[in-house]
Amino acid sequence: MATDRDHSLSRGLFVLRLIGAGLVLAAVAMGLPQTARADDPVFRIVFEDGKMTPSRLEVPADTRIELELVNAGKTPAEFESLPLRKEKVIAPGVTTSMVIKGLDPGEYSFFDDFHPDAPPAVLIAK
Amino acid sequence: MQGNVIFVVWRESVEALLVVGILQSWLSTNAPDARRARAFLWSGVAAGLAVAGLLGWALIALTEALSDTAQEILRTGLVLVAAALILQMVVWMRRHGRTLKRDLEGSLDKAVATENWWGVFLLALIAIAREGSETVVFLTGILSVDLGGGRLGAIAAAGLGLVAALATYAALQIGARFLSWRLFFRITETMLLFLALALLMTGVDGLVELDVVPRLSRRLWDTSMILSDGGAFGGLVSGLTGYRARPDLTQLLVFLSYWILVPWLLSRPRRSTVPNPT
Repeated sequence: MATDRDHSLSRGLFVLRLIGAGLVLAAVAMGLPQTARADDPVFRIVFEDGKMTPSRLEVPADTRIELELVNAGKTPAEFESLPLRKEKVIAPGVTTSMVIKGLDPGEYSFFDDFHPDAPPAVLIAK
Repeated sequence: MQGNVIFVVWRESVEALLVVGILQSWLSTNAPDARRARAFLWSGVAAGLAVAGLLGWALIALTEALSDTAQEILRTGLVLVAAALILQMVVWMRRHGRTLKRDLEGSLDKAVATENWWGVFLLALIAIAREGSETVVFLTGILSVDLGGGRLGAIAAAGLGLVAALATYAALQIGARFLSWRLFFRITETMLLFLALALLMTGVDGLVELDVVPRLSRRLWDTSMILSDGGAFGGLVSGLTGYRARPDLTQLLVFLSYWILVPWLLSRPRRSTVPNPT
């Protein structure tokens, strides 16, 4: 009986701790400033209802870069790339930026997750 | 375009429906106080929908105010909590699968159950809120413009996507009815374990992006010729299994330790020494 109670107590604490951790994360998240720096090279990608321009983008490898994501279309877009570990929703008419830390040389495909039938585009780090 | 809408709505909801559907079948079959347990589950779903609406609104209205890092932290926190909760549920189901009903009917400690119900509530909430918020942004955008097919077409497509998602949910419920419980449990448990790993991998990716965890190596190999994780289909597979086409050492270690630690955790005998009713 006693062990069962301990068990339930520890489980309760576990859930509480999870909630607490979530709240702390949220609080920290609200207070953080943008991380882009002025001297990062900036590359622009325009989303337009499934079309991404450019569809091949060359960027320097092993360098911090900033992507400027513009949604010029009428529908929302979602920049998504597992190889880049990035995912970002962009509402129509919105311009947002995303910092990419140094990339290994190579190709990284990305796509508009809200228009999955459109062909993916690729980021080439050289 | 319409096919697109159907697919996106289905995909965004399928993960949450898996979690909710499996919990629903499990609770109906195994929990002694099923009505109460389901109340926790469905309150979690309702709260999740509310939070999804709120988050979706925030994503549209506060794009400028919410920094990239802030969104990354929020997303990382949510996926890690979700992964932990799913694992906790699976372990709990495995340990108590056959004994829970008897334990509680024997009026042992009901607090055990109550605290797990809160876990169920929170899990449903996060599962719905996470993908739901994106669906909200997607639908708001889709429904606010005329896409050639007319607004009605888009609404119909979104409806069909939801129907497809509900069909997935129904398939789970039917599976629970017609497969043997043991088989259904095996299958859904495996699905949940893969899902938890996928969430963990996404969380670890987030931690790497946030400089909390080092990357340890450049990419170790590249299997994107076989299955790329950079496209829509590969992305879906990765989102449900944790697959990575070009893993670095950190991802590999997380993947391996997960499949070593979790089976160990699941095979560990119950700690509590509940006497068998005689």
